[in-house]
Amino acid sequence: MSAALARVGPALGVGLFRYLPILLLLLLWLAATRFDWVSTGVLPPLPNVLVSGYDLVTEGDFWVNTGSSLYRGGTGLLISIVVGGALGIAMAWWRPLRYVMSPIVEIFYPLPKSALIPVTALWLGYGDTSKILLIFLGCMLPVTIGAYNGARGAEQTLIWSARSLGASRLQTLFDVVVPSALPEMLNGVRTALALSFILLVASELIVARKGLGYLIGFLGDGGNYDGMFAVVLAVAMLGFFADRLYLAFNRWVLRWRE
Amino acid sequence: MAQGNGAGASQIVIDRLSHMYRPAHGRPVLAVDDVSLAVGHREFIALLGPSGCGKSTLLYLLGGFLPTEAGTITVDGKPVRGPGPDRGIVFQHFALFPWKTVRANVMYGLKRAGLPRGEQEKRAQDFIDLVGLHGFEDSYPSQLSGGMKQRTAIARTLAIDPKILLMDEPFGALDAQTRSLMQEELLGIWQRSPKTVIFVTHDVQEAVYLAQRVAVMSARPGRIKAIIETKFDRSDPHLTKTKPFIDKVDEIWELVRAEAIKAQMGRAP
Amino acid sequence: MAGIDQHTLAPSPPERRAFDLPEVARVFGWGLIAWAPVIVLLVAWEIFARSGAVTPFLLPPLSRVLERMASELTSGELFVAVGLTLWRALAGFAISAVLGVLIGLAMARVRFFYWFFDPIISIGFPIPKIAFLPIIVLWLGFYDVSKISMIAFNTIFPIVTATVVGVYAVEKEIIWSARNLGTSERALLWEILLPAALPQIFTGLQVALPIALIVGVLTEMAMGGYGVGGTMQTASRMADSLGVFAGIIEIAIVGYALVKLMAVLRRRLLKWHQEAQEPTTA
Repeated sequence: MSAALARVGPALGVGLFRYLPILLLLLLWLAATRFDWVSTGVLPPLPNVLVSGYDLVTEGDFWVNTGSSLYRGGTGLLISIVVGGALGIAMAWWRPLRYVMSPIVEIFYPLPKSALIPVTALWLGYGDTSKILLIFLGCMLPVTIGAYNGARGAEQTLIWSARSLGASRLQTLFDVVVPSALPEMLNGVRTALALSFILLVASELIVARKGLGYLIGFLGDGGNYDGMFAVVLAVAMLGFFADRLYLAFNRWVLRWRE
Repeated sequence: MAQGNGAGASQIVIDRLSHMYRPAHGRPVLAVDDVSLAVGHREFIALLGPSGCGKSTLLYLLGGFLPTEAGTITVDGKPVRGPGPDRGIVFQHFALFPWKTVRANVMYGLKRAGLPRGEQEKRAQDFIDLVGLHGFEDSYPSQLSGGMKQRTAIARTLAIDPKILLMDEPFGALDAQTRSLMQEELLGIWQRSPKTVIFVTHDVQEAVYLAQRVAVMSARPGRIKAIIETKFDRSDPHLTKTKPFIDKVDEIWELVRAEAIKAQMGRAP
Repeated sequence: MAGIDQHTLAPSPPERRAFDLPEVARVFGWGLIAWAPVIVLLVAWEIFARSGAVTPFLLPPLSRVLERMASELTSGELFVAVGLTLWRALAGFAISAVLGVLIGLAMARVRFFYWFFDPIISIGFPIPKIAFLPIIVLWLGFYDVSKISMIAFNTIFPIVTATVVGVYAVEKEIIWSARNLGTSERALLWEILLPAALPQIFTGLQVALPIALIVGVLTEMAMGGYGVGGTMQTASRMADSLGVFAGIIEIAIVGYALVKLMAVLRRRLLKWHQEAQEPTTA
């Protein structure tokens, strides 16, 4: 028992030390409301926020909205990864496709993806499908560019080796080009992940009747600032852990690297 | 002038082969110039020349990775149309699939050949053992040393039992000691199960040690300058210290030297 | 022939340009040929929109969208909207650029600052900061201040990170040489470290600028009023699809222009940098 603790202890200690400033900020928050440095209308006391959060979680409103958000975000992201990744690899593999698509991609890259919110709302209303389309369109490009660069970087000698070991051209595409493209493509997916959160929350704040973003707005409009703060923090944590989880997933998939 | 080894029909016939190298930026340059060569069955022949002389290009043409534009290459009477498992290739930088384990790498060609899974694993294991990597089956290439990586690459290519083995400076990326060991091992493997080997190198000693014939190539554009017979009793462990061997190395080095200097001079950006 | 590049002998290094161009484009000037697919796309838009396969509501013809843009231009609406959006985005960007670089420099040079800011940055980076908009509005009201603050809040993270990485990456031999030649600590920071880290810092700025525009448009949509985002959202609510599409094209042009501007600026400022590379977004 103490041996395990001795191993974990330093790691925990390091972790604690590293995140100490956050703890200090939280203490600052507590102090600010306790000592009336700031009015509670503007900054609800931390304990209140926590209690409100607990209420929301146990009273069910929270989960319906979370489920809705996760469904929209997840679906949109998944589609954008599949389509974007396939497009990027196809562009790297077939020159004609590359010449056709590349200026189109270069045009769409600097377009602020938030500009797609009004148009998807126009087309599909305030429901799930408009969000899914929004996230699909908005998140596709980073994945495409990552997959493209990764596939282009596939080493010629690997391709030739596969061919001389009996692989057809198509088999070489799947056996060599796709795995070679994976590291950079996964990097692009990480960007897409962060982007999907932004688009999801933003569109739910603006054009939705359900979802975590909507919930934030709803609570705010209703003057329930404790609840609003609680959900905002919950969303922030969701984004943070999603990213961390993704990094761990990455490390596992790419475990063959040194 | 085609020079055969006189032992019956040649397995590989290269006739008046030329190749233009067309870089993405810059002018096209003649890499291989009117090369003719015949290689017999199970012969070990070295392509020797300075850097940039086109010897690798010649190998890639043989492998079918580059298209034949001028001249012909035939293997067993049939022209070369593309890469295939009859001509296995081993590259200088190993070209192992980094996301696959040693075992998976070696099994790859067998999988493509459609062998049943059990067969694949057995054959792969045989070759992994043959190159001395028993115990490393589940390692990833990033965990291996240079020599071990090259052994894996060799095992991977040998596993599909190609008639012809194309080797592109396979020991060039290894340190001197490992290189020496690998040369011995390659010779041993070839002696036990002879195949036709085309071995590209810029190292005269290596060429004379391993090959039965050494084709010396000129600086770019690559032509075959001379073909020297290098028949020795390779069972002699002190071969490299014997006078005939050293004399042969000197003789060939003289031929290469002039070309090496030319290659150096032509090294403009 | 797909996959096998016949024109190279040896494996080629991965190209870091976003996309390469056909031979003929190089000859005729890439401006003409390379843009052909875009022109085709625009023409296809026009034809498809007029074909009757979709209603003009779903996809108004390009010509009518351009008409709308022209009328916005002459009425001055375009300038107001784009001007406002640009002003907010650039203001937020400027604030976060200055603050971000300062914080980054402090973090890279002073242990305490690194310890203090590191978790904040590391946690703050991946969270969807847009979720904090209602809180910012609560604190700062409905005016430009909150929009600009939100923009700055979003853009500061990549800038700080890039600055820290850039300064850390400066070879220690350069620092030692400078000290050896009698450079004071202050001069070291401003005359040696900052220029040396500039490529990396600039990359961070290039990442941050599009974010400034995205967030700017988002805050305008959320809070309404003037500005491209606000007018687009209003148009959407009033089923004015021409307005929505006009907004998309306008903001796309702005975004594109900004990215290109940054690329040009980079080439100017960093012409000494041997790679002079643009990030693959350019």
